[in-house]
Amino acid sequence: MSIVAKAIAQSDRADRFLGSSELTQLQDFFSNSSARISAAQKLAANQQKIVDEGSKQFWSQCPNTPSNSGDKQKTALCQRDQGWYIRLVTYCVLAGNSKPLEDIGLDGMRDMYVSLNVPLTNLKTAMRCLKQSAMGVLSSEEASLAGPYFDQLIRAF
Amino acid sequence: MQDTITSLINPADEKGQYLEGGDLDSLKQYLQTGASRVKAAGQIGDSAASIISKTVEKSLLYGDITLPGGNMYPTRRYAACLQDLTYFLRYATYAMLADDASIIDERILNGLKDTYSSLGVPVEPTIQAIEAMKDVVSERVGNEAGQEVGKYLDHIVSGLR
Repeated sequence: MSIVAKAIAQSDRADRFLGSSELTQLQDFFSNSSARISAAQKLAANQQKIVDEGSKQFWSQCPNTPSNSGDKQKTALCQRDQGWYIRLVTYCVLAGNSKPLEDIGLDGMRDMYVSLNVPLTNLKTAMRCLKQSAMGVLSSEEASLAGPYFDQLIRAF
Repeated sequence: MQDTITSLINPADEKGQYLEGGDLDSLKQYLQTGASRVKAAGQIGDSAASIISKTVEKSLLYGDITLPGGNMYPTRRYAACLQDLTYFLRYATYAMLADDASIIDERILNGLKDTYSSLGVPVEPTIQAIEAMKDVVSERVGNEAGQEVGKYLDHIVSGLR
C-alpha cells in the first residue's frame, strides 16, 4: 500500500474527503518525484556493486560468519538476500512508505533467519554495511529518501 | 484497494524485479501528474457541498423527480440523493488521486444496481446527474483535472448501465 492508497483509505474510513494534513503529505511526496525515480534507478543499476562492497566491509568487521566461511552457497544466498533488500528499499522509495519492506521482507524475517542458523547480530552488521555502500551511489537528496528505509531494515535485525 | 503505485510494484515483486522499462515510465508519468491531482482533490473536498448543489440544480431540481411521486420526494429521499451524489464525487476523487478505479468498484458499484432497483431509484436521472457533475467539477478544477475526475465518474455511469 503506497502513501497515496494509505491517505485514501484513512479518509475513507472517516467518510470524508482528504484532510489538509493528508494533502500536505501527498504534496510533499509528489514534490520530489524525480529524486525518487533516480534513487530507485541508481540502486537498481548498482545492486551488484553495492552488495559486493557492502560484503567486503561486513566481512572485515565480522569475519566469522556463514557467508564468509568458504561455503559458496551460503555466500551466494546471503548476497542474494541483500540484493532483495535493496530492491524492497526501491519499492519503498517509490511508494513513499515502508509497507513494501514490512510486508515482503520483514514480516517473519527473524523466524526465517533463526531457522537458517544465520546470526541476526551479524546480519545487522551486514545491513549497516549495505546501507553505507548504497548511500555512496546516491546524491544527498536521493540518500535522504532511501536512507530511512535502510535504517528501518537495520533496526529490524 | 489498489492504486497506480501498488499495482505496478506488486507484479514486479512477484517476478523479483526492479521497476523498470514501461512500468517505470508509467509510474514516472503518474508521479509527474501527482501534484495537480492533489491540488484538484483539495479543491473538490473544499467545495463538495456546493458542487453537489450545483449538480442537482443543473440536472434534477426542475424535473418531475422532485415532485410528489418522484424519487426525490419527500425531503428524506432528496437528502438521500444528495448523500449518494456526494459519495460518487468522493470516490471519483479518490480514484482520480490514485489513478485507479478499483476503490469505486469495491465501495460504490458492488451491489449498487441491485440496491437502486430495490429502492426504485431510476438509473437515467442518476446518470444525468453524474454527467452534470462532470461539468460542474471541470468548472471548479479546470479542464485537465476535470477530465481526470470525469474518467472515474464515467466509470460509475458504466457500472450503473
